[in-house]
Amino acid sequence: MAERAAPGLLARWHRARRADGLALRRALPDRLLPLLVAAMAVLAALALAGATGAAILSARWSAGAASLLTIQVPDPDAPAASPPSTRADAVLAALADTPGASRVHRLDKAELAALLAPWLGQATEFALTLPAIIELHMAAETGAETGADPDAASLARRLATVAPGTLVERNAEWGARLGRLADSLHGCALLAVAIVAGIAVVLIAATTRAGLAARRMPIELIHAMGASDGYIAGRFARRTALLAFVGGLAGSVAALPLLVLLSRVAAPFAQAAPSPAPASPADWATLLALLRDTLPTPLIVTLLALAPAAATIGWLTTQATVRAWLRTLP
Amino acid sequence: MIRLRDVSFRYETAGASGAQAPVALRQVSFAVPQGGFRWLLGPSGAGKSSLLRLLALGARPTTGTLELLGTSIAPARRAALARLRRRIGVVHQDFRLLPDLPVFDNVALPLRLQRRPEDEVRDEVHAILDWVGLGSRAAARPPQLSGGEQQRVAIARAVIHRPALVLADEPTNALDEHQATRLMDLFRDLSGLGTTIVVATHNDALIRRRPAHALELAHGRLVRDG
Ligand SMILES: Nc1ncnc2c1ncn2[C@@H]1O[C@H](COP(=O)(O)OP(=O)(O)OP(=O)(O)O)[C@@H](O)[C@H]1O
Ligand SMILES: [Mg+2]
Repeated sequence: MAERAAPGLLARWHRARRADGLALRRALPDRLLPLLVAAMAVLAALALAGATGAAILSARWSAGAASLLTIQVPDPDAPAASPPSTRADAVLAALADTPGASRVHRLDKAELAALLAPWLGQATEFALTLPAIIELHMAAETGAETGADPDAASLARRLATVAPGTLVERNAEWGARLGRLADSLHGCALLAVAIVAGIAVVLIAATTRAGLAARRMPIELIHAMGASDGYIAGRFARRTALLAFVGGLAGSVAALPLLVLLSRVAAPFAQAAPSPAPASPADWATLLALLRDTLPTPLIVTLLALAPAAATIGWLTTQATVRAWLRTLP
Repeated sequence: MIRLRDVSFRYETAGASGAQAPVALRQVSFAVPQGGFRWLLGPSGAGKSSLLRLLALGARPTTGTLELLGTSIAPARRAALARLRRRIGVVHQDFRLLPDLPVFDNVALPLRLQRRPEDEVRDEVHAILDWVGLGSRAAARPPQLSGGEQQRVAIARAVIHRPALVLADEPTNALDEHQATRLMDLFRDLSGLGTTIVVATHNDALIRRRPAHALELAHGRLVRDG
C-alpha cells in the first residue's frame, strides 16, 4: 500500500493537500486558464508599452516646444519707427524686458544659412533681404499651463508699433496640442489595461464557478464535515493564482520581442539611441543588456509586475467567488 | 449536549409549481446530556433524517432554538459553525463517501481537516480500518466495496476524530448481526467516554437487545422521550 511506504516530505505534503477530495487539478485544469491569461498578459503588455511611450512623448513635447516663440522681422536693416536704430535692433530692445524670457537670440548669418540650406543651397550671401529671426525662450515655469505665458497676439501688437510687419509664432500651441494628444493616448492605453484586467476577473470568476459546479459533491461534504469557508476558498484561490501566474509569465515573455521591436521603431521619437543588434543573440547576458538598453525602465518594471498582478487578480477573484458560492450552503 | 426548544423545520423546496415542501418537524423539544445515548425511532417519513440533519448543522431550524455542545446555533458565526461541525461525526443513511478517493483518504478526511500530522493520520486510519475489518481494503475505492463494507467505511470516518457528538442514520441496515452488535458495543464505549450519541433505526431486534432511552417521531412530532 502506498500509504504505508514512507514517502518523501514533498510527496507527503502533496498527498495531504490533494487528499481532501477537492481534486482541483480536475476542477481547474491547467490548460485553458493559463493560455487565456497569457493572451491577456500580451495585450496588457502592449497597452502598458503604449502608455509608457505616450507618457514619455507627452513629457518631451510639452516641455520642449512649449517654451519657444519665434519672431520674424522683415526688412531688419530699415530704420525703425523711432530712429536711429534699425527695425531688428528695436525689436530686440523691446523684447529685452519681456517678463519670463530666459533668452533672446537673433539667429546669425550662419544659422540662417543652415536653416535655409534645404531650399537655397549652401549660399552665404543672398540676393533677397532676409528677415531677422529671433528666438524667444521662456523660462520653463512660465509655460502655457501657468497662465503667465506672454500672449503671442499682444506681443505681436506691441512689436508692430516698433517695427510694423513683425510676425510672432508660438510653438507652444503645437507643443500643447501634441502633449494633449500624447495624454489621450496615455489615457486610452491605461483604459485598455483596465479592460484587460476586467476581462481577466470575469474569466477567472467563470472558470472558478465551473470548477465549483464540477466538484459540488465533495465541497458540500467537506463543508458539512467542518471545512471552513477560508479553507475551501484558499484551496481554490491558490490554484487559480498559480495558473494565472504561469499564464502571466508566459504572456510577458511572449510580449518581449514585440516590445523590443516597437521601441526600436519608436526610438527616434523618444530620442534614445537604438542599440546595435547583439553579436550573438543566444548569449543571455547580451540579450539582457539589450533589453535593458532598449526598453524604458518603467516598462521593464511593469513587465516584471505582470505575472504577480495576474496571480493577485486570480487569488482575489477566486476568493470572492468561492466565498459567495459557499454562502448558499448552511 | 443537545437542547431543542419548539423546533420546527420545513425544507425550502418551493418547486416550479410553487407547492411548498411538507413540514418535516413540528414543535420538537428535548434535551440530551453530554455522554447520553438516544435511539431515534419512528416510521419512514416521520422526520428522523431531518432531525439528524439539523443536529449535524446541515440546515437551520425554520423556527425554534437549537443549542449544541454549549453553543447556541442561531446567532453563531459561520466560522464557529465550521468549528462545531469538526466536533461532530455523522454516519449518513446513504454513506456519502467520495467515490474517487481511496478508502484510506475517505476515512482520513476528518483528521486532515483538523490539520493533524500525516504520520498520526496514517496510524489512526489503519487502526480504525482494522477495527471495522477493512484493514486490507485501504487502497480500494468505495464503488468497489459491498454495501456493508461502505457502511463500515462511513462508520470509521464518523468516529476516527473522537467527536463529541455522533449522529448515525440507520448505521446497521447493511451490517450483519455480529457487526451490528460490535457497533453497538463501540457506541456504548464512546458514550462512556463522554460522547453524545443519537442513532436512528428501524432495527427492532437491535433495540430489544439494547434497551435505552428513546426519542420517537411521528409525522414530525415528538411522541415519546423516555
Ligand atoms: N431534501 C428534501 N426536500 C424536501 N423534502 C424532504 C427532503 N428530505 C425529506 N423530505 C421530507 O421530509 C419528511 C421527513 O423525511 P425524513 O427523511 O426526515 O424521514 P425519515 O424519518 O428519515 O424516513 P426514513 O425512515 O424513510 O429514512 C418526509 O415527508 C420527506 O418527504
Ligand atoms: Mg431517514
